[in-house]
Amino acid sequence: MSRDAILGRIREALSVKTDAHVREVAKQSSHSLPVLANGPDGRTQAVKEFLPFVGESLEDHIAAFNVLSDKLQTEFIVVPTIDSARQTLDQLRQKHQWERVGIHDHELVQSCVDQLPVEFLNTSSNYDAHELEKCDVGISGCDALIAQTASALVTNHSAGGRALSVLPPHHVVVADASQMVTTMADGFAMIREKHHEKWPSFISFITGPSRTADIERVLVLGAHGPKKLTIIMISE
Amino acid sequence: MSQSTNPTTQFQTDANRVTADVDRRSFLRSSLRGYQTTRDATQERFLNYESARIAAGDAKWEAIENLDVYLAQFADKLEARGATVHWCSDSAEARDAILDIIKKHDAKSVIKSKCMTTEEIHLNDLLEKEGFEVVESDLGEFIVQLRDEAPYHFVFPAMHLKKEEINTLFQEKLKSINTDDPEELTMVAREVLRQKYLSADIGISGANFGVAETGMISITENEGNARLTTSLPKVHIALMGIEKIIPRLEDLALMLPMLATAGTGQHLTCYNSQLGGPRQDDESDGPVEMHVVLLDNHRTRLLADPEQRDALRCIRCGACLNVCPIFKNVGGHTYGTTYQGPIGSVITPHLRGLKDWKHLSHSSSLCGACSETCPVKIDLHHHLLRNRRDAAGKGQGGLAERTLMLGFTIVMRRPWLYRLTGRLGKLGHVLTKPIHGTRIDPFYAWKKTRDLDDPAKQSFKQYWKSRK
Ligand code: SF4
Repeated sequence: MSRDAILGRIREALSVKTDAHVREVAKQSSHSLPVLANGPDGRTQAVKEFLPFVGESLEDHIAAFNVLSDKLQTEFIVVPTIDSARQTLDQLRQKHQWERVGIHDHELVQSCVDQLPVEFLNTSSNYDAHELEKCDVGISGCDALIAQTASALVTNHSAGGRALSVLPPHHVVVADASQMVTTMADGFAMIREKHHEKWPSFISFITGPSRTADIERVLVLGAHGPKKLTIIMISE
Repeated sequence: MSQSTNPTTQFQTDANRVTADVDRRSFLRSSLRGYQTTRDATQERFLNYESARIAAGDAKWEAIENLDVYLAQFADKLEARGATVHWCSDSAEARDAILDIIKKHDAKSVIKSKCMTTEEIHLNDLLEKEGFEVVESDLGEFIVQLRDEAPYHFVFPAMHLKKEEINTLFQEKLKSINTDDPEELTMVAREVLRQKYLSADIGISGANFGVAETGMISITENEGNARLTTSLPKVHIALMGIEKIIPRLEDLALMLPMLATAGTGQHLTCYNSQLGGPRQDDESDGPVEMHVVLLDNHRTRLLADPEQRDALRCIRCGACLNVCPIFKNVGGHTYGTTYQGPIGSVITPHLRGLKDWKHLSHSSSLCGACSETCPVKIDLHHHLLRNRRDAAGKGQGGLAERTLMLGFTIVMRRPWLYRLTGRLGKLGHVLTKPIHGTRIDPFYAWKKTRDLDDPAKQSFKQYWKSRK
């Protein structure tokens, strides 16, 4: 079978050890900088020690998230309570004239949208993608907010499937301050814990609204996905 | 691109043509300068970029040196979650596997997100010949597809085109409005492609990484087209080279920022998605079938080379192209390969034969900018040298090179002959001066684009003796 044939060829190829000099070059640094232990733990540590530093406290994380969000053109709004999140959503509804809103079964999302005077489409069970395409906005939860990259980490469970967060022209994420973590590795660890290795089939880091610069390097938002991304974080 | 001629001649002809196009070259350069500025700023934010490179390189070493174990683990995990894994030794097998799936589902239309591996196996040609509608959804790919062209650069497929040219193209092929505003042009494409996602039966994607531990593919993108491609159609096919493996899920926390920083200068691209299997029982959408097509296509041949298996660690960020003085001058199409630039020059001779592709090893100034910029520290410019060595060792240098080297050996071994050659050289220089750069100059090929300074009055040897 092909599987055996390919794995066999790989084993045969690897029976000759990598040239020592080539292997050494990849490890050398002309700057005599710290090198962590090889292997997975070293790499997880590298994410903390070598990648951009965003502080330890929640305030630091919010500040870092803010700076990057500005650059990314993500609208990042910190509100004190669920009530104020409701108000914020209602203001957004008026501003953008939402009529149809995609949502899903998610405690935080449900309690934030329960008074919105709009038509809802719930994507938590079978739904029609054509209908979702007609929605003005998709409102979803998330698993974590990542301070180092200003990303929202979502799965099919936390974001109402694969399409709710990408098909409508505007995506709104509601999150809780306890969901703010430092690195992407912390985010993975959270999902690992929550699902006990029964992984969702879809996980995604969403970092800003959809974009392209394929024409003369000019930045255009909303290439195929949402033109707008709003992240509302409830701090209390 | 002249397809029928042999690759060396084609390279020469196209390189000559492109280097003469000063306008296009300066357009390319200014766009790559923009990339460099963004990237520098992003790299600045790292606490320690150099060390991060070493750590990222290490993840790929671990994967490549244990590829048999990790690849098997990757496939087992995926299958346990209901995906089907196809093992394909070459392009033909991969094409057949994909065609079978499409036929089995009686599909009409196929939407694709960016995947260089499908270019490698010439998938579109086949599918179109079989009568399927195949649409590239990445904007750059969509543009070059409309132009019936190959991607110019494997990360920036349409970087060679000006907005006016895209305007003309869209008006002609999409009957769009007359505009050369990049935003309006992008929206034209968005509208056209929206409908395609909703109606396509099959979505085909690539994979930037395959996570062995959890059996997931990871896709990096900015536009959201890969997310739509893998969400809406009922079947998802991912084509992936066997070298894309990384050991653990958490490794992505390092690899994804490194890929973005080196690739486009972003600290992270807009969407980084991990897909492990089709829609599961407790999920509300997603494809009902997921197929992962694993492709060898001579990668194991490269793996068998204890020096150059290094190149299998490549994460296809494209940075080595962006800094390469040759790429900047000859452009992407000149290479005539799926993977352009330094990495393409290193791996193509392994994937497609040294004999026809060894000229790529010479399309380098050996300046080392590529190795310097590579986020996983692949020793690119030395691999180009190794390819040259291997070609010469196999006697593929050609008659001219061998004669030249023979002459060189004879001269260098005999001091008297060396002195004589030096003097004759000087004389020759004086004598050929009036005909410099003209066709009757015996060194025309070399001198037509170069000036030669007058030789020094004193030879180095004379100078050395007269010191103090
Ligand atoms: S060789 Fe290095 S720089 Fe070039 S594309 Fe691959 S990873 Fe990027």
